[in-house]
Amino acid sequence: MKANNLIYAPALKQEFRCRVPLKDARQVFLVNGTVQGAGAPLAFRLEEGEQLAQMLQIIAVRSAEGPRDLSFSESFHFSRGSAGRIILCAHTFSLDHFKTVEQTKITLEEGARAEFVVMQNEHNQADHETFYEITLAAGAVLDMVFLSLHGGSIRNHIEARLQGEHAACKLSGLYLTDGDQRMDYDIRLTHEVPDCHSNQIFKGILDDRGRAQFDGLIRVVPDAQKTEAYQANHNLLISDSAKAYTRPQLEIYADDVKCSHGATIGRLNPDELFYMRTRGIPAAEARVLQQMAFCNEVVDKITSPELRERMQVLVEKRLRGEFSRCQNCSKNCC
Amino acid sequence: MKPLLTIENLHASIGDKEILRGIDLEIKAGEIHAIMGPNGSGKSTLSAVLAGRETFTVTEGSVTYDEHDLLALTPEERAWAGIFLGFQYPVEIPGVTNVNFMKAAVNEQRKQRGLEPLGAAQFLKLMREKMAYVEMDNSFSGRGVNVGFSGGEKKRNEIFQMAMLEPRLAILDETDSGLDVDALRIVASGVNKLKRPDNAFIVITHYQRLLDYIVPDVIHVLYKGRIIKTAGKELALEIEQKGYDWLIHESE
Repeated sequence: MKANNLIYAPALKQEFRCRVPLKDARQVFLVNGTVQGAGAPLAFRLEEGEQLAQMLQIIAVRSAEGPRDLSFSESFHFSRGSAGRIILCAHTFSLDHFKTVEQTKITLEEGARAEFVVMQNEHNQADHETFYEITLAAGAVLDMVFLSLHGGSIRNHIEARLQGEHAACKLSGLYLTDGDQRMDYDIRLTHEVPDCHSNQIFKGILDDRGRAQFDGLIRVVPDAQKTEAYQANHNLLISDSAKAYTRPQLEIYADDVKCSHGATIGRLNPDELFYMRTRGIPAAEARVLQQMAFCNEVVDKITSPELRERMQVLVEKRLRGEFSRCQNCSKNCC
Repeated sequence: MKPLLTIENLHASIGDKEILRGIDLEIKAGEIHAIMGPNGSGKSTLSAVLAGRETFTVTEGSVTYDEHDLLALTPEERAWAGIFLGFQYPVEIPGVTNVNFMKAAVNEQRKQRGLEPLGAAQFLKLMREKMAYVEMDNSFSGRGVNVGFSGGEKKRNEIFQMAMLEPRLAILDETDSGLDVDALRIVASGVNKLKRPDNAFIVITHYQRLLDYIVPDVIHVLYKGRIIKTAGKELALEIEQKGYDWLIHESE
């Protein structure tokens, strides 16, 4: 499907539409796995050299009319020298128990540039498992930000392969759990050729009995010299019963590389908290400020200022314990 | 006139180590009190206890501020009541900008006093005005609180925050430590500009140098958790020349 064929779908219920769509975006709806109006899976393609001026916002929803268990796939193909920005929002239309398995293929040909923001904002009964299969050819640049804001169980598997020299892959992620929610990230990133760059930063805040597991593997094959690969995972535990597991791993078979990884699990800094309170900021508010500061390192990776501001609002509302719907919509989408 | 702050027989400990061992102090509005003393005498502990730091336990005594039991208040309630602590080591808060930090603080204090929050334009005007007090560049507004600030910039930021919050009782814990002469002059002139008949300052310092710029009404010498000497401003000069030993001998 050509990008031009993806249009704002007017047949959807009024309440569900973004009342104020992002100024700089066009929207397409994916209802229970197929493009609304077309009935087919999403297959996005940019032709050689094609530059997508506006962002494309794909709003994937689950509705009660669909099956309880659903498996679907979608693909994004960026031909040589093309460039585009995609926002992928996952939502649920009703509070039913949904189980979704989503397979997403992202292919960047030589010199293609793509930005993705993936927002997962579902509900406690939603079980969402994703499989991202990402390949980058020579000189391709991918910048991807994941925001897992809400969901009973979210498991993201990301397999990224850097297959052409001077490819660059940036992956960032934020996950917020409370109640009995669980969010996992399982990342395998492989440097298959020399001279590529990758950078990962994943951060999570866990409250109540929330759990998160981060498995991150960077693999550098024997000939992939001059690789630069970095990975960081930081977790904040807000309650005594929240749990974070982190497993950063490096497998390096080349000898001339720059690689690092680091992982932490910590709590809010009590000195910062006291300092803010002495200025009259109430303890609860000070904690929100601290958590926002922690999240901003990831949210700030979003390049569109308008989208970034909306996401900041959603994250802040989430941290304040409000169900994170933005003011633009009667549902939880943005 | 009733004193603004009355400390009576204050004892405080950290773990089972007693640090303050019976402090008595009375401060009236319009006064500047300097607290001096050798390292480890309890100066910073006293300021932390007054600001409500929970790592210290008050085991005995009372603190009355503006006719209220200060020790019953949380740190933020003390701030709302007009108490300000200038930190010896200001805390860095990465990711929270100076402007957002101050906006949260100022508007919360206004809310507690029944005032409307300041609008964005009003607030920025106020920021600029108060930053000028301590010759701080406007570019500091957008930076993380104290992040990457030099020692002098951190201390100026403390005085700037004090100017924004206009406390009735400001406790400055070794605000002069780590400052060069220029920074010292800037910090001191910030304090002097904020001095009014209805507020008071406790200035904690090691050195007489600061007291050349901020002239105290009273000087107290703290040693081993007790005030061993209270005198006028001329005491600072004597300490500069003779050290603390003679005072310690005198008290023992």
